[in-house]
Amino acid sequence: MTTQKKVDHGLLLIVVGLAAWAVPGAGHLIIKERRRAAIIFVAVTATFLVGLYVGSIGVVDPIGAKPWYIAQLMASPAVGLIGHVTETAVTEAGQRQYVSYGRASDVGQIYTSIAGLLNLLCILSAVYMTYCGRGEMIGEEEDDG
Amino acid sequence: MTGDWGMLAAAFVDPIHIPTDPTSVLWMFPLLLAIAVVYKATKMRVLFGLKFAKEVAVLFGTVSGFMVFLGAAMIFLVKLITE
Repeated sequence: MTTQKKVDHGLLLIVVGLAAWAVPGAGHLIIKERRRAAIIFVAVTATFLVGLYVGSIGVVDPIGAKPWYIAQLMASPAVGLIGHVTETAVTEAGQRQYVSYGRASDVGQIYTSIAGLLNLLCILSAVYMTYCGRGEMIGEEEDDG
Repeated sequence: MTGDWGMLAAAFVDPIHIPTDPTSVLWMFPLLLAIAVVYKATKMRVLFGLKFAKEVAVLFGTVSGFMVFLGAAMIFLVKLITE
């Protein structure tokens, strides 16, 4: 492999990794794994949205639940925006506006964090497939026999 | 139109009510399904529709069965210790 090709391949790995982080499934889409990309997008996004619906956006808590927040952030950088909203929004009394307690908070936090960790698995999968040249090797997605 | 978006956004602002009783454990199953789907989507070399569905079902069933078994074993252990 020439130096130029090595640089291009390294750049592709970075692009695939970043795309997979930005939008779940986008990394696989770049390497022409359309079906895999669609499944990952639906599964990860649905899990994250169910978590937000159950526990409200209060479960994304960059101050009180930092380890959970780091896991949630793996779902997409857009989670950082939600974290910024929950961090900065305060009521007139000076209390945080979006808070979540009880079982709903637990379930919501678990769902959103697992969604993030599942996307981390997908990022690694997309980057590894690209490293192995899978997108170039197969080219077209194989149909059901 | 704006009202629709407002209603949609409002759904994510207030948490829903989940009682602290044994039924809340049922929330585990949709999560297990999501984990099985994503795991198999990343693990299978080629995604054939039916084979994928079968493998997801087997993994989901196995993990669910083990979780139920583990729950029952824990309840049994607690009863054994406390009674």
